[in-house]
Amino acid sequence: MAAVAPVRRPKRRSIPVGRILLLGFFLVFVLWPLYWMFNTSIKPSDDYLTVPPVWFPTAPTLVHYEAALFAYRGLDGLINSLIISLSATVLSALFGTLMAYSLARYNTGGQHLSFWVLSQRFLPPIGIVLPVFLIYRGVGLYDTHIGLIIAYTVFTLPVSVWMMFAYFRGMPKSMEEAALVDGCTRWEAFWRVAVPLAAPGIVAAAVFAFIACWTEFFFALILTSRSAFTLPTVFRAFIGFQGAQYGEAAALAIVSLVPSIALGVLAQRHLVRGLTLGAVRG
Amino acid sequence: MQPTATISRLKAAGAPPRLSGFAQWADRHFKWLLVAPAVLLILALSVYPLLFSLVVSFINYDFQVPGHAFVGLKNFERVVFDPVARWSLWLTAWLSGISVAIEFVLGLLVALTMVRSFPGRGVIMSILIVPLFISPVIVGQAWTLLLQRPFGPTNYILTQLLGQEVTIGWMTESPWLYFSLIIADVWQWTPFMFVILLAGLTAIPPNLYEAAELDGVNAWQAFWAITLPHLAPMMLLALTFRLLDAIRMFDTIFIMTGGGPGTRTYTASYYLYTVGFTQFHLSQATAGSWLFLIFTALVVMLLVRRLLKTEPV
Repeated sequence: MAAVAPVRRPKRRSIPVGRILLLGFFLVFVLWPLYWMFNTSIKPSDDYLTVPPVWFPTAPTLVHYEAALFAYRGLDGLINSLIISLSATVLSALFGTLMAYSLARYNTGGQHLSFWVLSQRFLPPIGIVLPVFLIYRGVGLYDTHIGLIIAYTVFTLPVSVWMMFAYFRGMPKSMEEAALVDGCTRWEAFWRVAVPLAAPGIVAAAVFAFIACWTEFFFALILTSRSAFTLPTVFRAFIGFQGAQYGEAAALAIVSLVPSIALGVLAQRHLVRGLTLGAVRG
Repeated sequence: MQPTATISRLKAAGAPPRLSGFAQWADRHFKWLLVAPAVLLILALSVYPLLFSLVVSFINYDFQVPGHAFVGLKNFERVVFDPVARWSLWLTAWLSGISVAIEFVLGLLVALTMVRSFPGRGVIMSILIVPLFISPVIVGQAWTLLLQRPFGPTNYILTQLLGQEVTIGWMTESPWLYFSLIIADVWQWTPFMFVILLAGLTAIPPNLYEAAELDGVNAWQAFWAITLPHLAPMMLLALTFRLLDAIRMFDTIFIMTGGGPGTRTYTASYYLYTVGFTQFHLSQATAGSWLFLIFTALVVMLLVRRLLKTEPV
């Protein structure tokens, strides 16, 4: 990770065999399931049950991708996931930044308000989702895009708020104070001075909110069914399968993991802050 | 800053910016207006549902029984005296405990190998963090593809390695299916431990080690005397965050075992899900989720209190 600068310590002479072995083993452990999934996704169905297994498919095929996207409605799930995750990300980053600024600069509500937001992060989703399901059915938000967008906005808010809270606290106040002295309103000091300076932090918070929405399963499973279902819930179709749909499951998995991995690796400089809600500056 | 400059020019020209009544009001209550959208959303979609569920847990709310009569503690009784509920809580505790412990040790070991710079470190770093960005559903799917009989290659590989026929039902036979669930969790979340602990390790001033080396302290002693005490707050933070997520374990179970065989792999979340959404005893499920919430709150109080005392950063 770029942000965590490697520490240079006095070199010892011996070759660290143990370290290399451990790291090598762990790399294989991480890559092996991904490789096998990719391998399965391009393997013709005839190769599924051969002994020994087909390690490298000789006749790669895209039929599974086609089936996963169209026959299993993976494409619909993909589009829903994009609409819902992007909308929730924008709302979460916007409201999160607003609140974080107020907490960081005006100490709004003291410690209580900020810790109340943090406590939301640790609520078990099962406790929330049952009543939300009942409420959504009552007000007609069940199985709608808007319903899931609102749910995801709320569920990513603690992380957005705390990441931005830490970011604003680490930013010097002097620019905004100068703007206020010059006669700017508080809103102008925030919107025209602080927000542009905090843009990298906002982008990072948005990336983590997006990944959280994109990979979320539990809320989507319970709050959607036939029309607003997201990509992860499409995998329900492959549960308990008897051999016929291995390729489709793998193909859909490959399609859905590409965006979040790409974003995550691009934002890895901010990973430590993202994982610890800003508590640790990576 | 351009707008600031504009305003100072206006001021210099003797024209102070005038605000309308609303703008003045908004400026005075600025800090509360900023927190309002987030707070209102959390109130609407977290606090209100929780209060609503508290009501539901004391009444009859069951898709199979009409009416919403007040039933007192009956819903709670049903959960407390359900052996499956107690089993699921027990399973949640030890499954998450073992997973987190393995993730912690493995994450620490890998972090220790990555502290120093070496060629290829950046690329390896990017690869190691990949599991963090994958949906747990897909992680469950990936391990299903590897483990499930007869398709998965795991039994074949073990047969070759051990020189004898291995035919383990990784998703159905009793000790092995726990192993499968743990390995999927370990695969996904070891990088979490690794990333946080590595950040902690790189923050330890290297001159401490240099001084120790001059004093003739060996690597093992240096680990106990320098690394461990400096890393302790980070370790506590990583363990707390991870444990609080691990006890929610649901997605991989849903995909890999479906709670089965029977109810052997029901975690607390999975149990409450089936009670609520496959049996439709919604009030029993909300009562159970309140009990689980209290259980979680106790863990939070225990761990987060500690965490706030040590104050990393």
